[in-house]
Amino acid sequence: MRTSPVRARLAAAGATFRERHGVEVVSCLADREAEYRAVRDAVALTDFSFVQKYRVPEEKGIDFLDALLAGNVAKIRFGRVLHTFLADPDGFIVADCYAANNDAELIFLCESVLPDAALQAQLEAAGATAAGAEDLTANHGLFSLDGFRAWEVVKEIFGADVLGLPYLSIEVYPFAGQTVRLFRSGKTSEFGYLLLAPEVVVPELFDTLAKSIAKREGRICGVDIHDDLRLEGRFFNLHAEGQRVRDPLALGLQWMIDFDKQPFVGGEAIKRRRAEGLKRKIVGVATEPGGEALQTGARIFHEGQPVAEVVASCHSFVLGHRLGLALFPQELAYSGLSFRVAASEGPAVRTISMPPIMPKSLTVKLDEM
Amino acid sequence: MGTVSSAPNAVTVSQAIARRARVIQVFKDELIRRLNLPYTPDDLHEDVSLLGSGLGLDSLDALEIVLCIESCFQIKVPDDSIAVLRSINTVVDFVLQQQDQKRGVA
Repeated sequence: MRTSPVRARLAAAGATFRERHGVEVVSCLADREAEYRAVRDAVALTDFSFVQKYRVPEEKGIDFLDALLAGNVAKIRFGRVLHTFLADPDGFIVADCYAANNDAELIFLCESVLPDAALQAQLEAAGATAAGAEDLTANHGLFSLDGFRAWEVVKEIFGADVLGLPYLSIEVYPFAGQTVRLFRSGKTSEFGYLLLAPEVVVPELFDTLAKSIAKREGRICGVDIHDDLRLEGRFFNLHAEGQRVRDPLALGLQWMIDFDKQPFVGGEAIKRRRAEGLKRKIVGVATEPGGEALQTGARIFHEGQPVAEVVASCHSFVLGHRLGLALFPQELAYSGLSFRVAASEGPAVRTISMPPIMPKSLTVKLDEM
Repeated sequence: MGTVSSAPNAVTVSQAIARRARVIQVFKDELIRRLNLPYTPDDLHEDVSLLGSGLGLDSLDALEIVLCIESCFQIKVPDDSIAVLRSINTVVDFVLQQQDQKRGVA
């Protein structure tokens, strides 16, 4: 099983580990609310080295990735990042992906449900070797910095010009004699950065980041809290709703797809389902405080009949009640309606407009810092 | 909707859906037309983020969205409208709220 390049440091910090799709990840280091508050109020450092990482020369990489991914890789401008997905031949999502145009190279980050060997086989079948794709997974680390004060950390380490990076962009910075690729990204609604670093500087980078976040009342966090943060921000989560609803159309991910581009893996199946019309889709749901019945897997009732299923859920510390996503039939998939959860006479649940929170980061203008 | 019945709640649900669906349809059609988006209305999930992630629209697009809302629904969008413009659903919530206020509905 693949483990983190900073496993010893994480273990010393109190990490709880678990296996996910053939890779060891950190579940958490503290209680859930402490990790949640670190992101919403300060800054969190999370080891994302479990993500599969590739470098492809631009010359052949565009055609290779364009034939693989649902989004249009050929249209990624220099310095920008495309958020899209990788599907299986039946058009069901197997990876949540970033593809970045970094001058002469394309960087491909893949948060997948496929073990490394299975993903590698899928890429090989699509021509990875011929395209010159280089697997960086084992020899690079990836750290996620998220939070209201995340920008302060990257500014301190890489300089003030980091603040000018737009959302979904990539830039390279020197660090300890090596090159760190920095993604301005994030799926928490707060400021977010991904730092891709060669293994030779990974421990030093981790220590530097940990020291910087500590000065700002930040924390090292696990991946579990990211499930809650993604749900609150209505960012797609492959490991939550993406596991129960694998159809990108029902998940509302049409924005990740270029329906007019050249064929891509699973594209024909997706287009066929699109032509048949959307039958079900996910909608945000919420209970009143204490509505613990809103749990993943619970059924939602309308007029005594089950009509939907909860496919992701969490407790929102900001809102003070449970939140979820439920898969509804199209005719009931509207915000502002009342239903029952868990039983036909169960607790009340209402469909809501997402995202339901207003993150602090939206109140900060980085270009004025 | 196939589940309309004589039960009071069902009628309320049906009416609420019909009203919301009308606003959604008008807004989506106009959004696609004004911004020349390569999608059908069905492709646009109501929770899709308008700015940043999701549709990835920029500040000029945001201005166009404000004009779109104001011309389609004859309502004024406040200058600090970032909370309104987060998703199609947040826009629709705002439109329905403004329509209720105009009609004097609590």
